[in-house]
Amino acid sequence: MRILGLSSFVPEQICDVIKFSGYQSERTISNYCGYISDYLSQVIEDDSIDGAVYPKSCDSSRGITSYLDNSKKFLHQIHVPARQDEYAIEIFSESIKLYKESVEKFYDAVINENEINYRNEIICKRNTDIEAIYDNLEGIHYSVYLKLMHDLQKMPLNEQLDYLKNNRSESVINNGKKVFLIGSRVTDMSIIEGIEQSGMTVVGDNITESKRFYSQRNVEGIGDIYKKIANSILSNRLSPTQNNFCEILTNDIFEISRKNVQGVIFLTQKYCEPYDYLYSVYKKALDDMDIPILRISISGTTSVANNRLLLEAFSEMI
Amino acid sequence: MEITTAQLQTKLVREYYKYFSKYAKGKKPEKKVAWVTSFTPVEILEALEIEYYYPESYAAVIAASGKEQNMFQTADKSGLPRECCSYSCCFEGCIIDEEGPRGIPPKPDVLIATNNQCNTLPNWWNILAQRYNVPLIILDYPGDIIPLDMARLYVDKQHMDLIEKLELLSGNKLDKNILEISIENSRKSIAAWSNIISHMPEMNMSEVNLFDAITYLIISRCKEETASLYNKMAEEIAEYPKSEEKLIKVFWLGYPLWYHPDRYLSEELSGCRISGSNYITWWNLDYCGDDSFEKLFHAYNFTFLNISQRARTERLTKLIEQSEAVGAISLINKSCKCDFVSAKNIDLPQVELEIDMIDRTYLDIEKARRQIVLLKEMICIE
Repeated sequence: MRILGLSSFVPEQICDVIKFSGYQSERTISNYCGYISDYLSQVIEDDSIDGAVYPKSCDSSRGITSYLDNSKKFLHQIHVPARQDEYAIEIFSESIKLYKESVEKFYDAVINENEINYRNEIICKRNTDIEAIYDNLEGIHYSVYLKLMHDLQKMPLNEQLDYLKNNRSESVINNGKKVFLIGSRVTDMSIIEGIEQSGMTVVGDNITESKRFYSQRNVEGIGDIYKKIANSILSNRLSPTQNNFCEILTNDIFEISRKNVQGVIFLTQKYCEPYDYLYSVYKKALDDMDIPILRISISGTTSVANNRLLLEAFSEMI
Repeated sequence: MEITTAQLQTKLVREYYKYFSKYAKGKKPEKKVAWVTSFTPVEILEALEIEYYYPESYAAVIAASGKEQNMFQTADKSGLPRECCSYSCCFEGCIIDEEGPRGIPPKPDVLIATNNQCNTLPNWWNILAQRYNVPLIILDYPGDIIPLDMARLYVDKQHMDLIEKLELLSGNKLDKNILEISIENSRKSIAAWSNIISHMPEMNMSEVNLFDAITYLIISRCKEETASLYNKMAEEIAEYPKSEEKLIKVFWLGYPLWYHPDRYLSEELSGCRISGSNYITWWNLDYCGDDSFEKLFHAYNFTFLNISQRARTERLTKLIEQSEAVGAISLINKSCKCDFVSAKNIDLPQVELEIDMIDRTYLDIEKARRQIVLLKEMICIE
């Protein structure tokens, strides 16, 4: 079973999936999110991938099935509720159950609840470990941390705890200007290198593979396991696709203030509308606080040199 | 004396715009105001005596008045880039500049957004919520991605929750009788509208009138006068001359071009006529069911843009057959990714034009011209 999973809404508790981390494609669909376009290409072109699981959470992800319909691979779309109340937990738990049944049917497998519970325990432990690293972000290189997160997310769940234990990041003294990073997945590591080489230190973030990956509440105790998982995933730092900008701003600004952040770097994918909309309110909130914000759009054609110039200028400004 | 089509249109338009700043003369609505997306269950708002306005529709009006480019610039300066949905950029510019062909709508007391059309609208409504600092209610419609009974339960709960919140906000109690009447009015409006568009393949109907006339189904579908208006229009259309046989019947797959005087690329389509369009059927909601909640569930959960590609293809195939079209113009709309894929699997000669329904500068007209010539050649060969 080699399922390519898109986004942190895919429940890890059900089975291992390969987390999509970027793929070079021609991006032939006009005005379509580059990230999802690359995802489609990998599912279609990569023979080692035999399935795809993805959310229905933004305009580009809504149409994924239409593009993959003829792939003859396992396809499953998960409904991600656009709310965060008890109704949302209930419907999301049903969606998770449907996903599990769909995997079982296609791969002729049985996924029992003990296994799901066991995986849930590992996830809880792993997230606690990541949180400890994140809390010490000022004492390590952010690029090292992010690479760790990327590598971790490529591994089967049962190897992740050991990997974290064996790959302790080396402590460093960061004297850079404190910046906060927000946006969709960092598919271009040269941006992070550019941030550090321009004399800035990332002291906090709200990006898919970091805060939005591990910050979910650990839900233990008795009760319906699917509801627990749903509750847990929905308690993660929110994505703008979940339509609660107010909560995103409240949480991020609290962290930005607490850490005395001097500037914010906002990463967007070209044609990723949820982040485009979030940016406009984020900018206003930061303008009111006199905190500069730099927006970098990651597209297939963005030049590394150009981003470097932007980052250097931003660093000088703050 | 019998009321005419023009009088009915004027009544509906006047009623809708009376509190827009250009006409209100400082007067504010007595009722609470909601800003809603196009597929909001407004029957509930009717039954709670809440006024409602449609920012998307107003963006189309702004484009039709030729003022959209200034609005885009204003929105861009405020941090909303031009790549975003043009409806939102256009409307944002309008409310920031406080300028529009009919002024600006009365400020909202509540914002209601649904995702049964796209996911961009709830994002846009989040911006509005920050601007006006008023409650935002998101209605999440799963469509056919999950089993029917689950979806029904989920949507019903949200509709009940919506009612509870709006009762608190407005201080009014939901009038179940008005709710039922409003649903019935919507159903009648849709039936009358369906009758009108059924004449499209054979009658000589003006495309601009048709694309503009659907506005009433969007902004006032549950008003009694809408069905009366459409019935009158249908009577008039039945008297129209038949369209010329020699014109090539083409299906328009996507939004009308609100900035264009004819709402489609008429100058490039000489020798052709639009005999069908999916856009004008989007609001043909199916209010089936035994009680109000079931009817609202069916109508708003299974909108055209919220169903799977397979179901969409089925609906579209039927529409194209009814239109008798021999070719299609499919719009790859910059502003609407959800409609991108509608034309997939349609077995008909077609061209895909990269276009925007609001931003007139987006289209590469030379390229479009070449594509349309090619389509005409394909149709003739076939």
